[in-house]
Parts: sequence; structure tokens; C-alpha cells
Amino acid sequence: MKKPARLTFLITAVLAVFVFLLAETVVVKIKTTSLRRDPKFTAPIVAAIKAGDSLEKLEARDGWVKVKTKAGVVGWLHSTAVEAKKLDLLAMDKTMKTQASAGEVALAAKGFNKQVEDKYRAGNAAADFAAVDAMEKVKPTPAEVEAFMKDGKLGEFGGSR
Amino acid sequence: MTARAKVLASIAVAATVALAGCQAIKQGAADIIASTGKVSQGDAQAIVKTAEVVRSTFAEITEEEEYYIGRATAALILGKYRPYRNEALNAYVNTMGTALSYYSDRPETYAGYHFLVLDTDEVNAMAAPGGFIFVTKGLVKRCGDEETLAAILAHEIGHVAARHGLQSIKKSRLIDAFKVIGSEASQRLDSEELTKLTGIFEGVLGDVVETLVERGYDRKFEYEADKLGLTFAVRTGYAPGGLAEFLVGMEERKPSGPAAGWFKTHPSPADRLARVKTETAALGAAPAKLDVRTARFAQTVKNLR
Repeated sequence: MKKPARLTFLITAVLAVFVFLLAETVVVKIKTTSLRRDPKFTAPIVAAIKAGDSLEKLEARDGWVKVKTKAGVVGWLHSTAVEAKKLDLLAMDKTMKTQASAGEVALAAKGFNKQVEDKYRAGNAAADFAAVDAMEKVKPTPAEVEAFMKDGKLGEFGGSR
Repeated sequence: MTARAKVLASIAVAATVALAGCQAIKQGAADIIASTGKVSQGDAQAIVKTAEVVRSTFAEITEEEEYYIGRATAALILGKYRPYRNEALNAYVNTMGTALSYYSDRPETYAGYHFLVLDTDEVNAMAAPGGFIFVTKGLVKRCGDEETLAAILAHEIGHVAARHGLQSIKKSRLIDAFKVIGSEASQRLDSEELTKLTGIFEGVLGDVVETLVERGYDRKFEYEADKLGLTFAVRTGYAPGGLAEFLVGMEERKPSGPAAGWFKTHPSPADRLARVKTETAALGAAPAKLDVRTARFAQTVKNLR
């Protein structure tokens, strides 16, 4: 039965295209962050992620998105850490794909970046970047923030309103 | 291919196109601009065009670029003011600020929020793009409790969340910058482009620093940050009276002569107070001020000189 076989193949192909289109990909837009077990910052960390990582979006709730990494780890991260992958679906059109990817690459590598900072820094002694580096190093851990909230009866540790 | 298969194939193509169309609508206005007109051009020139059209306003500054603008702004502020060496106070401010950021509309920025107390008796607070937030020792001394300091930090987080700093950049500079950035399809800046872009970067920093330190934001941004700050602080669990308390104190200290410092860069405390009172009333039930927080604040600031 040649014809039904072909038809099955075609239906499978159509379904595959649909699944591909429906699976929404998001891209991490911040330097580094953590994937968490539950949709809150104090939840246990399940994976570390970084700028440019592509994640499969599974669910969205109260400003958080549930995602799956390429390695198959599932967890939550705040929606402000990711952006929808641009022109993903339009990539079917080959011309567009070329434009989008080339454009994105050019934009990613060129801009106000480390290279520009270094050049600016060399000519501006009045700007104290060492002090900024020191400022960036102070970063309370989620556990410290949680303890602070607990002691001060803040956030989820707060009483009735 | 059978007739039936052909029909099926056509449906698949039609559905695919329809789905792609839906997605395009879902994307932001900028993306729509990018995906209409420009994308139909088939030559390499189109890449450049797309880049130029997509990026023309502050809203198109990437998170990473915002971070580098913020870092250099912070570096210039730290060239003017020294950090206040008080580890306990700095840890306290960073922990409180981070907790507030969790409950803000923008908890994640490129390299996170960072807070620092500046060693000056001037009363001021400033937020550089991307989340570099400064409060002066003089301001901390003016705060009577944790709710007040939290209200100030939340207000500054409001400026970062709404990207107010980036909005002080002159549009012409951004257009110039995006021209350099989108000028070729090459992936790295050549030395001429780097020189040009660094010059523009310097201008960008001038705009931001002048606004933060000298001129102040447009008053509508201050009112917006007040409202956002109030929302974030209350969401975190703080009593809403902190900002009002601070503003009342500032109104009392208002100089009779020409405005300087905080008074020059901010709208009149009385104006803000009236708005904050209305917004607080609209909140309805809100958390109460707790002694446990007031006590730890007093403990942390007791050695301030």
C-alpha cells in the first residue's frame, strides 16, 4: 500500500512542522542567572545559565517562565531574564533567516561593550572603574536575602495585611 | 502526489504561514517594523537597514549595553564621591536592596543590582542604568527607620526598572551609535569604528551623568519612580509610610536660597508628598511597620559619623 504510507509520512511531516512552530524558544539576555525549582528567587537552584542560552519555554506564571535547557533540566526563571527568540518562525524563509542571524550576530558583537569600555577607560582617568569592580563584588547570596526577609518578617514571611 | 496529499500539503503551508503571521503580531512594535518592508530586501544591504530601523531609540539598547553605560556612569560617580567604608552598613543596604529588587517589576538586570553608600554628608541617592544604586551617608542619617531607607532604595530601583537613565540620552547620539554599529556586516568593530563609538559613548555618559548628578530627571520620571517604589516596597512587605516620612523631613530642611544638590535634582518634596499620600490611600490594606526592622536599622547605623 504505497499511497497510505506516503500519506502517513506527509501527516507526520505536517505534525512535525507544527510541533516545531509551537515550541517557543526564549533566549537568556542577562550575563548569568540561576534556574530555580519553583517560581521564586529563594527556591533551590537547579542549573546555572548564561547570556545567549536558548531555552524551551514550557509555561508562564506570574512573571515567571518554566523552561527546559538543552541538557533537559527543567526549572523556573524570571521573565525579565529572557526574551522571545526573534524571527524564529520567520526563519522558514531562507532570505529572512540569513538577514536575521547575520544581523543579530553583528549587533551582538558590536555595541557599547567591553572593547568600548577599555578604550574609554584608557582616556578617562577620572572614571574609577576599580571602585565599580569592588561594588560589583558585593552580592548577597539568596540564602542571606532569605534570612534578612525572615528576620524582618518580609516577603513570604510577612504577617497578615 | 495524490490530490488529497496536495490538499493536505497546501493546508500545512497555509497554516504555517498563518502561524508565522500570528507570531509576528505578538512580537513588539519594533520587531514588526523589522519584519515588514525591510526583510523583503534580498541583498546584504538589508542587514544594515534592518539593524538601523530596529535600533533607533533607548528602548533598543540591549541589556549588555545598558550594563556598560551603567558601569561607566558608576565609575564617574565614584570618581566624584568615595565609597563609605562600613562593611556592615554596605551588606545591610545590599541585602535590603536585593530583597526589594525581587519584588520589583525588573528583578533581573544584566549583572544584577548593586548598592553602595557614598562617603558624603550631602543628602542624595542616584541610580545608574542597569542597577548601580548609590545612597549617601548623609541620606542614611536622615532616615529614621528601615521603612524609610527601603522606600529610597525602592524609588531608585523604580528608576532602573523604568530605564529612566537611558531616556536621558540624546536621541541623536543613539542614531549615530546605531549607524556605526550597523555600518557593516562585519562582526567586530574596526579601529575607526571603535574610536567613533567610544566618542559617542563619552557623549552618552555626559547625558546620563549630567541628569543624575547635576540637572535631575524630568519631574514626571520622579513621580513615576515614587509610584513604582511605593509599589515595590509594599510588595516586599514594608509599611508604605517610608517615603512620606522622608519627604516631610526634607520639606522641613528646604533651603530658602537657590536649590542645590538633592533639592535641585528633585521636584519639591511638598508636590511629591501630595501624590504619595493619594497613592498610599489607593493601596488599601498594607503591611505595618515592625519594631524588629526598626531595631536592626538602629543597630546598623548607630556608629555613623
